[in-house]
Amino acid sequence: MLKKLLSATALVALTTPAFAGGHLSWEQMTEKAQNEEGEVTWFVWYFEDRFREFTQQFTDATGIKVIIPDGDHSTNIDKMIAESGRETGDIDVLAYGVDMLPTIDNALFMSLANLPEDAGRISDLVGIDGGDVALAYWGNQTGIAYDPAKIADEDLPQTPEDFAAFWTANPGAMGFNYENGGSGPSFYMNILRTLSDVDFNDGETSPEKLAGIDGGIAFFNEHAENYEITASNADSLTRLSNGEFTMVAAWEDHMAGLQNIGEIRDDLKFYIPEMGMFGGGNYVSIPKNAPHPAAAQLFVDWLTSAEVQTMFNQQFGTAPMHAEADDSAALVSNAMRERQMPWAKKPFRDAVEERFIEDVIQER
Amino acid sequence: MRLGRTATILLLLTPGIGLIVFFIGAVIYIAIAQSFGYYNLLGESGYSLEFWETLTGRKAYARSVRYSLYVGFWSAILSVALAYPLALWLRKPFTGSLTVSAILKAPLLVHGIVAAFLFLNVISFHGILNQFMVWTGIFDEPRRLQNDDNAIGLLFLQVWKNMPFALLLLTGAVQAISDDVLHAAQDLGAGAWARFRKVIAPLSVSAMQAALIIIFIGALADFTFQTTIGPTNRQSLAQYMTFFKERGRWNDAAVVGVTLMALSLVGAIVLAAAARLIFRGRLR
Repeated sequence: MLKKLLSATALVALTTPAFAGGHLSWEQMTEKAQNEEGEVTWFVWYFEDRFREFTQQFTDATGIKVIIPDGDHSTNIDKMIAESGRETGDIDVLAYGVDMLPTIDNALFMSLANLPEDAGRISDLVGIDGGDVALAYWGNQTGIAYDPAKIADEDLPQTPEDFAAFWTANPGAMGFNYENGGSGPSFYMNILRTLSDVDFNDGETSPEKLAGIDGGIAFFNEHAENYEITASNADSLTRLSNGEFTMVAAWEDHMAGLQNIGEIRDDLKFYIPEMGMFGGGNYVSIPKNAPHPAAAQLFVDWLTSAEVQTMFNQQFGTAPMHAEADDSAALVSNAMRERQMPWAKKPFRDAVEERFIEDVIQER
Repeated sequence: MRLGRTATILLLLTPGIGLIVFFIGAVIYIAIAQSFGYYNLLGESGYSLEFWETLTGRKAYARSVRYSLYVGFWSAILSVALAYPLALWLRKPFTGSLTVSAILKAPLLVHGIVAAFLFLNVISFHGILNQFMVWTGIFDEPRRLQNDDNAIGLLFLQVWKNMPFALLLLTGAVQAISDDVLHAAQDLGAGAWARFRKVIAPLSVSAMQAALIIIFIGALADFTFQTTIGPTNRQSLAQYMTFFKERGRWNDAAVVGVTLMALSLVGAIVLAAAARLIFRGRLR
């Protein structure tokens, strides 16, 4: 597969003419990346250890070393912004949640137009257009992970009313987190969204708009005794796997990844309720002051290729971010994926999270 | 002449203490300034009381303050209270006392996050504790013990981790008390409690103060234990600060940070003064 990828890359490289305006041709870019730069630093805030192993394939194929520092989501973004005034920064490639793009000045990123043309790549995810500065490399989806030994598929809750009925009939059998991961927030926000007329796709926030979710807040308080709050995404899945819960809020890729390495039971299943839950993914961009811009472009080209996207699907359970990639290893069908909702826009999303903590969590 | 000597001493101290004062001072200055609206990384900067007013009106803030003080206070008190009898027991060497002492201090070598996950495994729904309780018939079925609302598990872990540190400080202090003093007290009719209350505690109060202060500050600012095994219906101040920081709300994070620093300072002074007042009857 890698040979095919490299052959394709080489073919494209050989057939791509030099760009006008003094830009390097892809062939020259590749040569520069391999012979002059020799390394690329990828700031990605999750799965660092597993990505270090995975990107070894890129190093084996190109000879370019991939360095992945540890760092969390906001810290990596803050770092890029903080060092944007420097002529040369530390970040070659930055990974970030798709919903963060509108909050970052796109002028800080270099254009990815130099990459070989590939119509299968995705630069517009859940309505957030990456333009020519961002490409999707990781598709993910929140939903409900469940233990099929305890609940039949036809009994799975699909609406807020269904969840309330399940909680009442099975006190303490469902858990979700409100911090340390987005699966729980996705769950409660979609309940709040379904029980209100508020537009979660509009980031504008005001006290009047926040008052629109009063009904949902009351819903959670009314049923507070019958659901559990967990400590994190991982805590939810671990406790589901241990038999403590019947269902928990979870990320599809997180769950598939843990199942693949045997951390949680592989008989656990995942679904997206009919009310919809948030999904999206992650973009990669190259800061304008990247220390190794040629190697960074080569890396992004590799990361967003159909072959790598297929491997991501097989190893991590992601939704592939390339039209020609194989998605047969996903936990949900394409039909069910239609239920995907775009993440609530910030700053309204932050305001809802804060209100949920203030008026639901603090009342427990 | 005297001024020159003072200046010389200050100059000599500057490379060491000066740097510490500069760096700590800079951090404290930035945090305080940010809490009043300055150094806003993502928006307009300027003097504002808005961040203090908004946050202090929140239930989550008030609850975080109360909860962190609760954890800090009880961690310090329980650790010291448990360390005292052990320090007295180990005051005079006996066969195996070195081994006992080493075992008691072992938690110092275990990193907090490792201890938290180990503890989580023990108390989890199908963990050893639940299995044992079900096996003995005390529990009919496994119970949900992790992330308990009263932070009992968290306090247990704080004491497990901090007691050896208190023991380390107190052992030295009680070993420094001569047998003559204790024998004299005994001759005068002092029982075990009176000897502790009127002789041992007053003579080791400095070590007690150091242990109380250091454990209090550490537990007050706890993040690791809280996010792993702490209650999920309240946040520690460190956790609350991180909550804002992760959302790029540096000014709000600074308000919580300054609160944490102020509480550390005030709490440490109160604990130290109370210990001295209770066991020495005076502040000096």
